[in-house]
Amino acid sequence: MGKFWSLLFGATMAGCFGLFAVAPFVDGWWMPEGVSSHSDRIDFLFYAILGITGFFFVLTEAILVGFLYRYGTTADGTPPKLAPSKVANLLKPITKVLNDPHKIELAWTIIPAAILLLIAFSQVSIWAEVKYQSRYTDFVGKDTIPVVVEISARQFEWRVRYPSKSRMESFLNYTEKKDPTVKKDFESFAKLTKFDDVKNLPQALHVLKGHSVLIHLGTQDVIHSLNLPHMRIKQDALPGKIIPVWFIPTKSNTQKGTWIDGFNPDTKKFDDHHIWDIACAELCGWGHYRMVGRLFVHETKEDFLAWLEHAEKDANAKN
Amino acid sequence: MSVSHSHEAHAHPELGFLRKYVFSTDHKIIGIQFLFSSVIFLLVGGALALLVRIQLAWPHAEIPILRDWFPDNGGRMPESFYNMAFSMHASAMIFFVIIPFLTGAFGNFLIPLMIGARDMAFPALNMMSYWFMWPAFVLIMASFFAEGGGPASGWTAYPTLSSTALPTGQGYQSPAAPNSGHGQIYWLCALLCVGVSSMMGSVNYITTIINMRAPGMTLYRMPMSIWAMFITAILQAFALPVLTVALIMQLLDKTIGTNFFLPDGLIFGNWSTNVGSGQPLLWQHLFWFYSHPAVYIMILPAMGMVSDIISTFARRPLFGYRAMILSVAGIAGLGFIVWGHHMFQSGMDPRLGTAFMVATVMIALPSAVKVFNWLGTCYKGNIRFTSAMLFALAFVSLFIIGGLSGIFMAATPVDIAIHDTYFIVAHIHYVLFTSSLFGIFAAIYYWFPKMFGRMMSEFWGKVHFAISFVAANCVFFPMHILGVAGQRRRIPDITATAFERPLLGLNQFITISALVLGTVQLIFVINFFFSLFWGKVCGRNPWDSNTLEWTTTSPAPHGNFETTPVVYRWPYDYGQVEGQAEDNALQTDKTAPPGIGEQHH
Repeated sequence: MGKFWSLLFGATMAGCFGLFAVAPFVDGWWMPEGVSSHSDRIDFLFYAILGITGFFFVLTEAILVGFLYRYGTTADGTPPKLAPSKVANLLKPITKVLNDPHKIELAWTIIPAAILLLIAFSQVSIWAEVKYQSRYTDFVGKDTIPVVVEISARQFEWRVRYPSKSRMESFLNYTEKKDPTVKKDFESFAKLTKFDDVKNLPQALHVLKGHSVLIHLGTQDVIHSLNLPHMRIKQDALPGKIIPVWFIPTKSNTQKGTWIDGFNPDTKKFDDHHIWDIACAELCGWGHYRMVGRLFVHETKEDFLAWLEHAEKDANAKN
Repeated sequence: MSVSHSHEAHAHPELGFLRKYVFSTDHKIIGIQFLFSSVIFLLVGGALALLVRIQLAWPHAEIPILRDWFPDNGGRMPESFYNMAFSMHASAMIFFVIIPFLTGAFGNFLIPLMIGARDMAFPALNMMSYWFMWPAFVLIMASFFAEGGGPASGWTAYPTLSSTALPTGQGYQSPAAPNSGHGQIYWLCALLCVGVSSMMGSVNYITTIINMRAPGMTLYRMPMSIWAMFITAILQAFALPVLTVALIMQLLDKTIGTNFFLPDGLIFGNWSTNVGSGQPLLWQHLFWFYSHPAVYIMILPAMGMVSDIISTFARRPLFGYRAMILSVAGIAGLGFIVWGHHMFQSGMDPRLGTAFMVATVMIALPSAVKVFNWLGTCYKGNIRFTSAMLFALAFVSLFIIGGLSGIFMAATPVDIAIHDTYFIVAHIHYVLFTSSLFGIFAAIYYWFPKMFGRMMSEFWGKVHFAISFVAANCVFFPMHILGVAGQRRRIPDITATAFERPLLGLNQFITISALVLGTVQLIFVINFFFSLFWGKVCGRNPWDSNTLEWTTTSPAPHGNFETTPVVYRWPYDYGQVEGQAEDNALQTDKTAPPGIGEQHH
């Protein structure tokens, strides 16, 4: 009977492992494609942890299943008669440690501690790059002005405010001209609402491939969370605070001239995998699940500015 | 030094039914009362979970039985009902199931018995701690029917969704959500009552364990169950006051117009506030300062009991007894400095996040040491696969998964991707369902004979185990995949986004497995109640265990022991020695020969 139980444990754990092995190859069952400057480092850390935890998962579960298989009691309750262990032969080099309880306790305390400390300290720089406000200037660079937008999260939509096309053009061209008045104008964006800004386009965030993005994230009702899964961005929006979020998109997903998302630049076709959602990731009421927007990354500066001009006309026409 | 009075059972007049079984001060009766109420709330919480799962799997379908509940919504669950379902599922399971099972039921039942005392230090306070749960039961059930609907801002109840209120005098509706009006107020009051009950209990347990151990029961001869209950009680005593304060602050924000958590300038539709200066983050800090230690409150007693159960049925001494105690203490201590890991993406200063990250990653260490020690206990064992043992082994196996998945979310950059996704839901259910709840099942199968003098059916126990084990993994393991793919928590309809839509099939698999898992718990409930009346009658020590409760009759009598026990050895004297008939020695056994599982410390 004991062997049945150990096999039940073993088969179930094997099934779990199998699911993780298979999932990356099933369409839609794994991480969305990472298309930001942050995604490489974050995904690498994820895979590193997956490898380490996967190793220890297999090791400990195999030991457990093995012990249950081998040490089950006999029919009359006496200890089982043990055949010589093949595994013990394999472990001959470390028998000295394994047979001394003190040594083995030291080993299984120090080795995991070292691995955990390594995991802890190796990741601080990634976190700092993504979130520490003091790192923001290094990230964007002194001589660049990012694509700056203001996102105001509301029950239940994302409202995005852009600079007007002419302002945005001066921001994007700052690197060549380095005009200090433009720099000041950029710094005022979060504080002022100029009359020619493009306001409150709901549910759509447009940015430019290869150019840094700065989002001023705010809300005036409840806590929401800006989640751009493909960019590996998640930041809660807090009432009473404006929080900056920054990244650089590394791929585009909208076609010149039509501005529909989902365009795959490699296959030159429209493709669901290139529809990049903006989702709300903090419960904000009954409409939380519907607070969905779309992220458009333009391939070229001209295309991006052409869209912004079009959007500005549209927004002004409605007023 | 502990002294127990050895006076004979007091000659009081025979108590009536009410004083004996309802308003009892006997710790065993109180423990059983907690057990029964927790079983009922387990069914309530489970039903709510099934409602959540059904909506997730078939978001646009009319639901067969529920059709009549929602005639105005086309027979489909409204979003606010869904939000209430998961909020109340978590609230019920945490505050009315797991914590009362572990600390209320088993803490009460086991502590005096296992340390050789006649009852708790404060029996009347003990009775009050149970009866304080009843206002909580009434309030939490009433909240379902509150005006505006039951609480629906999550069990985490973050302001401003949960706590925005109209100006004083204009009623208790909330502009943020209809459910955050009266329903939320009932919830806050219910949790206040639960907190008071737990604080009373924790004071009692700490005092009893320190002061009332039998002669010879030194601290290092206490079973792990008691060490775990002791340290858990300390956790409760220090953490609960902070939750109590936070709940009162939110209650005041909602009723008398304070603004602890409400900043100014909030705008809801046409309505706006201009008085504020509160901080929503303050609630999160106060709430998680309790709720993180709370999760250790919900696992440590189970770990302690599992240690005792595994050594009993493996017929081996517990490996690394002192390391186990140190690990429990380490988990509890570290547990007080990691609360910010729930707030990495919250807008809290990310530098603070780094500090919390280091402590959080380190908390995996004592947990890992405990897992290795359980494996070490099974090594060269003589393992008896009873229902209790199977659930205890499953605890170890599945806690490995729950613990390892925690490392992903401890890593702040990875948390950016998995925060508020089903990866977190997978982790919490591995540690709460397949660890805590399986530990509770193990404890019930194990101590049922001592509570009621009868055995539960081993056959049906094994059926319960086998199906629950497979089904639970079918429900919760795929949630890791959902989380990696980005599926968010608390969403009733995942077809609204392109990245979640492909996961519908996997969600349906999970829901069907959950329906199986839920149904099979009925086998347990029927086994439990049937065995109360018709289970096989048993003797003092059906499991050949060593601890003190097995020296007395089953069920244990009022006053627990005929004479005060005297303790001569630690609880883990197990192990077959050549030429000796017995492979264990009771803690009160003075004459057992050396060599059986001798204590090495």
